[in-house]
Amino acid sequence: MKRLIHILYISVIMPLLMSSCHDIPTMPDNSRGNFEALWTIINEHYCFLREKGIDWDSIHTVYSHRIAEDMTRQELFNVLASMLEELKDGHTNLSSPWETSYYRQWWSDYPQNYDSRIIEQYYFNFNYRQLGSIRYGVVADNIGYIGYPTFASSIGDGNLDAILSYLATCNGLIIDIRDNGGGDLTGVERLVGRFTTEQILAGYMVHKTGPGRDDFSSPFPYYFKPAPQGRMMWTKPVALLTNRSTFSAANNFVAVMQYLPQVIIVGARTGGGSGMPFSSELPCGWGVRFSACSLLDAKGNTTEWGIDPTEGCQMDLDPEAALHGHDTILDFAIQQLSE
Amino acid sequence: MSRLRLTAILLMLLLISPAQAQDRPVLSAFTLGIGSSHIADTYLTPLKYEGWSVAAGYERMQAFKPSADSWITRLYITGELNRSINPAGNARMWGFELSASWGFIRRYSLPYGIKLGIGPALSARGGCLYNSRNSNNPASAKAAITADATAFAAWNTHIGSLPITFRYQPTIPVIGAFFSPCYDELYFEIYMGNRRGLVHPAWWGNRFELNQLVTLDLHLGSSSLRLGYDSSWMSSRVSNLTTRIITHRFVIGWTSEWLSSEHKKATTNRANINSALY
Repeated sequence: MKRLIHILYISVIMPLLMSSCHDIPTMPDNSRGNFEALWTIINEHYCFLREKGIDWDSIHTVYSHRIAEDMTRQELFNVLASMLEELKDGHTNLSSPWETSYYRQWWSDYPQNYDSRIIEQYYFNFNYRQLGSIRYGVVADNIGYIGYPTFASSIGDGNLDAILSYLATCNGLIIDIRDNGGGDLTGVERLVGRFTTEQILAGYMVHKTGPGRDDFSSPFPYYFKPAPQGRMMWTKPVALLTNRSTFSAANNFVAVMQYLPQVIIVGARTGGGSGMPFSSELPCGWGVRFSACSLLDAKGNTTEWGIDPTEGCQMDLDPEAALHGHDTILDFAIQQLSE
Repeated sequence: MSRLRLTAILLMLLLISPAQAQDRPVLSAFTLGIGSSHIADTYLTPLKYEGWSVAAGYERMQAFKPSADSWITRLYITGELNRSINPAGNARMWGFELSASWGFIRRYSLPYGIKLGIGPALSARGGCLYNSRNSNNPASAKAAITADATAFAAWNTHIGSLPITFRYQPTIPVIGAFFSPCYDELYFEIYMGNRRGLVHPAWWGNRFELNQLVTLDLHLGSSSLRLGYDSSWMSSRVSNLTTRIITHRFVIGWTSEWLSSEHKKATTNRANINSALY
């Protein structure tokens, strides 16, 4: 009998005791529960609350008053999306079956500074090479041009070899990453590897280590290696063209390339987005995306707010010149590389 | 010197065991299980998912040659696949795990066909939870190496004229080591070389697991039909991340005892056969 009690204790009571120590709080699937769940996710995981000076507690107070049990799901979505907008983060979204919320002011409050049609028509007369989403060719003064609109679609080493081989005789290279909204960091690493002959410090990663607002890991340095031997490399001058829609992984590409000696940044401040987004969800099933891991540049600076062009190279696209087929940012870059 | 002497005496005692003349059939069991899974992993989601679970298992038991009356060895290999959905029903989580456990069990034969056993086991398991809705944190890798305590209680009896064996076997990892990503750490950071804080010592305070196996072997001639139930209860909390994986499965399988052909020829008397379980 004693043995039986022991067996029962081990098999039933102990798991309950041990697992109760590892409790997972659950929120009910109602307006209040979903509001509290979202507030808690951001409170415990969002990595820029301190850096952006956001008083998340007072935001709870403000938005809690807007929650009512009889509100519709659309009304709840609007309130929760507004609360997320307080983070001013292009990586933060709330996704319901009918809508995904976006914070757009990081680019909508600025001039676009880019019109792909101008380049395609007036600089190439539509005779450019295209490889996936990448457009490339030779513009004035024997300067190579690569339009790189995304890091989301992977490009292979063979593709990069082909592009750089085609442009190998050019005097300089323009990489146009205006409107590049990001993608995979592995794609960034692959591309950067063509412009350096030695391993470089790419930056630092800092992730949250717990739910506290100051729970962060020590910055971890990460390095990019040059492309493997035998691959096409580019060591001549490079100009990166940027605008506010240069975001996320593209922003990281600029953060790494800016410290290479042969590289200049031309155009407008990038859009930032240096927080690597995590995903979570609310009891009602809506998805949440938010920045959880901060990428710093090689000098330990945050790039969440964007990266300025090289001194003397900050400029907007002249809309009047654009009407006459001139991309003044591209013209400036050609001029810089031709000197 | 005294340790050497003690080891020598122990070895001699094992070697002079009278059981060395007995035949030690290998009990092999192949099983399939189907049931439910209840999964939570706060690296992936704060919600608890529920769904189905399937598994395949192989169990091998044999009396331990140097001391066949007292000790048996047990190898238990399982592979499982779970699919669960969130409470809203709009997100899926897949889980798979492979595990292998080798146990060395002290066996006690009691009257009325009852056998009890208890002993240590070494286990290794690895797998992954994958949440299809997540972007940069879609998966949570699982791996653990543990020293376990395992035990069984078996009863060999009859239903009418049909011989049966009923067994209950719990296994509890006691200490070990396990893998967990850090709170909000991207696998990209791990890929770029940050391996700090990924492996943790396991003890009941941060990782508790209980595996229970209940089997009923219906001996149908030279082989047996195995019916049973197996459950696994794992709860861990480390790096401010909580994981809970619970599965319940009904089990069906086939078991048999076999001897090498050399032993078969020599065996003339059932009394010479030292079965690990039956």
